[in-house]
Order: sequence, then structure tokens, then C-alpha cells
Amino acid sequence: MTSDTRVILICSGKGGVGKTTLTANLGISLASKGCPTAVLDADFGLRNLDLLLGLENRIVYTAQEVLEENCRLDQALVKHKQQPNLSLLPAGNPRMLEWLKPEDMQKIVEMLNDQFQYVLIDCPAGVEDGFKNAVSASKEAIIVTNPEVSAVRDADRVIGLLNTHGVKPVQLVLNRVRPKMMQSQEMLSIDDVTDILALPLLGLVLEDEQVIVSTNRGEPLTLVGSNSPAARCYSNIASRLQGEEVPLIDPAKEGSSLKDKFRRLMQTKIF
Amino acid sequence: MKKVLYFPTEKKESWQSFIELKVKELKRGLIEINSGNWQLKCRDIIYLKNLCERYNLTIVSINSYIPETIISANSLGFESSLELEFAEKSKRTFDNEIINSLQSPSTFFHQGTLRSGESLDVNEDLLILGDVNPGAIVSAGGNVMIWGRLLGIAHAGKHGNDHAKITALQLRPVQLRISNKIARGPKEKPEQGLAEEALIEEGVIVIKPAKNS
Repeated sequence: MTSDTRVILICSGKGGVGKTTLTANLGISLASKGCPTAVLDADFGLRNLDLLLGLENRIVYTAQEVLEENCRLDQALVKHKQQPNLSLLPAGNPRMLEWLKPEDMQKIVEMLNDQFQYVLIDCPAGVEDGFKNAVSASKEAIIVTNPEVSAVRDADRVIGLLNTHGVKPVQLVLNRVRPKMMQSQEMLSIDDVTDILALPLLGLVLEDEQVIVSTNRGEPLTLVGSNSPAARCYSNIASRLQGEEVPLIDPAKEGSSLKDKFRRLMQTKIF
Repeated sequence: MKKVLYFPTEKKESWQSFIELKVKELKRGLIEINSGNWQLKCRDIIYLKNLCERYNLTIVSINSYIPETIISANSLGFESSLELEFAEKSKRTFDNEIINSLQSPSTFFHQGTLRSGESLDVNEDLLILGDVNPGAIVSAGGNVMIWGRLLGIAHAGKHGNDHAKITALQLRPVQLRISNKIARGPKEKPEQGLAEEALIEEGVIVIKPAKNS
């Protein structure tokens, strides 16, 4: 398993576009498809991948202790209860930022290489040291962006930096797509975004209130087998990452079928 | 199966009637067009495309010995390539202006897209094969030529050359600077497939369809 481990960086440049949510859901999806997957929180300053996965209270050791050789790697890895194929390597305390070097990050990822098929790195926002550390350890990348001018601009900058670091291939996930706004051209269209970024589109994720609910509960959507739009999108992305061909969701058709309308109606009554 | 459609080698007749006959013979499928020594403008290529569509033919690529034909085809989004060995042999004389701009040692050549935050600053003329994305800045002592889209900021003649030009296959900049003049980019989208150039006329920066395209 050592050589074909895929180390994938999930980054965006701008904050709040859905890096961590994508990491958590993609991790669960890949794990449930039978691939041993590790998610690594590289956002040391503002860590919250553990929150999204609902693993906060089970963290004993972190990446920091592993690097200081105060514990073994398998002691620090937190296995997900419902999805044992998924493990989280938590970020250490925020002061790690001061001394962590790209070599340390590479060391951690090398250790994970032996045990896992996929290593997903949740990259911090911005393009400073934290980003550089994370990039140095990864082989390929997924750029997350929203159909907004500022997010696209930042993503463009990050793609340029990834190119200079030789990270390949770089794929694109367009997050928080609102079909209605796209149709009425109030939002950047898919073509507008891919035109500027010139990257292969790995998938779309539709805007979905369920994402917020699941984040607050610490249960990623893909874990609970939800059939909400975003959950389907995440699971499609995981399939495509494994090389399957899954057609893109057409935002124009999404939400217009009777079934979808009925489901929305049901949800509004319940919550 | 891909078929190749050659333009007439002799320049006496006009190519339109010749091609129409040829196209009628071929029935549906993919074709590659080789325009040989004919210079095709954008409207010629659109004519070709419509003609082919009428007979259920899809144009895969357009090849030619003439660089201008390639530029037109490229700007309309067709796959195209210059057949160099033949281009050398062909007796056609190039426009002096093009020769100078391509061959002069003072042209800085950059291949690849410039993304947000990246910048390129040279003292010579600047030729870019790729896009200049929003947030990127290019500046040159001489002319700026972009074989791609200009969506960011371009500065030509930065040392005070008022005759410098900015040329791009698609000119949609945030801001244009020539010499010490500054202009905001046009609000409306330009026509597709029309290369444009910006230059100083009577003290203001104006945008016009580019020559030689």
C-alpha cells in the first residue's frame, strides 16, 4: 500500500468555503467504500476537523506528540467509531505554528503512508507558512471554491502557488452552488469559474441546509446515509476520485422533480 | 473516421465554390481542414463552419501554412496548428511588422497562464502565450501581446512610450495602462473571436479591432 497512497491536499485560499466540510465528508465516503483513509488536520491555528467528525472528546495525543516522539503514531490516530476505516490525526496546539517546518509535515505524512490508501490534508486558509507546510507534504490537490468572485480570485492565486510547488494533478470542487441563482445569472456560472481557473471539475456541491445541521451535530452527512443533495454530491466526488465515471449533477434540473419538492416539504415540517 | 479537406492549390479560382462541391461529396462525420496557402479571416471560418454543419460535418481542426489563419481559427475556439515546414517553403512574404515583432531580440516570451497575484515585468516587448487572469499584472517597456485572454492589468510602454500597444485575443482587462495614461476596462463583453488592441489616440486610451486578424 506504500507506493500508491494518494496524499491529497484540500485547499482554497479563502476561508469558509468548505474545505473542512469537504475533507470530513470525503473521508467518510472513501472509508465507507472500503479504503483505509486518514484525515490530517493541518490547520493548527484554528483546528476544527475533529469537531466536524464528532471526535473532539476522544483526542488524547496529537501530531505534536508524535513529532516530539512522546507517543507512537497509532496512539495519536483517532479511529472513527462508526467508520473504522477512517482515522483522524489531530492538529496539535496552535503554538505548533511557530516551530513546525515543511520537513515535519513530510515526516508525518510518510508515517501515514504505510497504513492508508488515502491521506486527506485539510489545509489552512491563506497562503502563509501553514499553507506552505501542508503543500510540501502533498502530491495532488483539490481546490474548493464558491461561485463568488473573491473565492475564485483566491483559488486562482493558490493554483499558481501549487503549480510552482509541482503539485499535480489539481482538481476543482465548486461548493455551495445555488441552482436557482445560477439560472437567473445572479451567481457566477460553472463555466465562468472553470473558464478562469482552467482546472478539471471534480464535482459540484449544492447549497444545503443539512450541512449546517450535520456540522453542529458532529456527524458528517455522508456518515448518516442522508439522501440530501449535498450528501449525494460528496459521495459522487469520492467515486470520481477513485476513477469511476459519474455524471455531474445538473443544477438546472436539481430540486425541480416532484420527489425533491416533496422531500423539501417534509423537512420543513420536521425542523 | 476523420477525413481531410484540402483547399485548392491554385489561387486562380475562389475557394468558396470549390469547397462547397467538396463538402457535398463528403457525408456526415469528422473532418480536418487544411487551408494551405489561403488566408482565412474569422468570417471565412464561420462560413466554413456553417457550410459543414449543413452537411452534418464536424470540424475537428483547422491547419494552415498561414499564421493569420491559425490566429482566426484559434480565436473562434478551433483546434489548429501551423504547418511549419511548408510555411517556410511558401513564397509568401510576411507583413514586415509581424516579422519584426516576432523576431526582434527584444521580445520577452512567456508561455503559460498568469494567475491572480502573479506578475511579469520586462523592459522589452512582451509576448504571452496564455491568459492573464484577474489579479495578475503584466508590464513591459514596449508592446504587450497576449495570445489568450487579458482579464487582469496590463501596462505597455511603462518608461513613457506613447506608441506602445496592448493586443489580446480577448481584451477584457480590469485596467489598461499605456505610458502614463490609465484607463478602466470596458464594462461590456467584447465580441467573441475578435482580437483587439488598445493604443493611445489623441491623448486617451482607445480599444480597436486588431490589425492583421
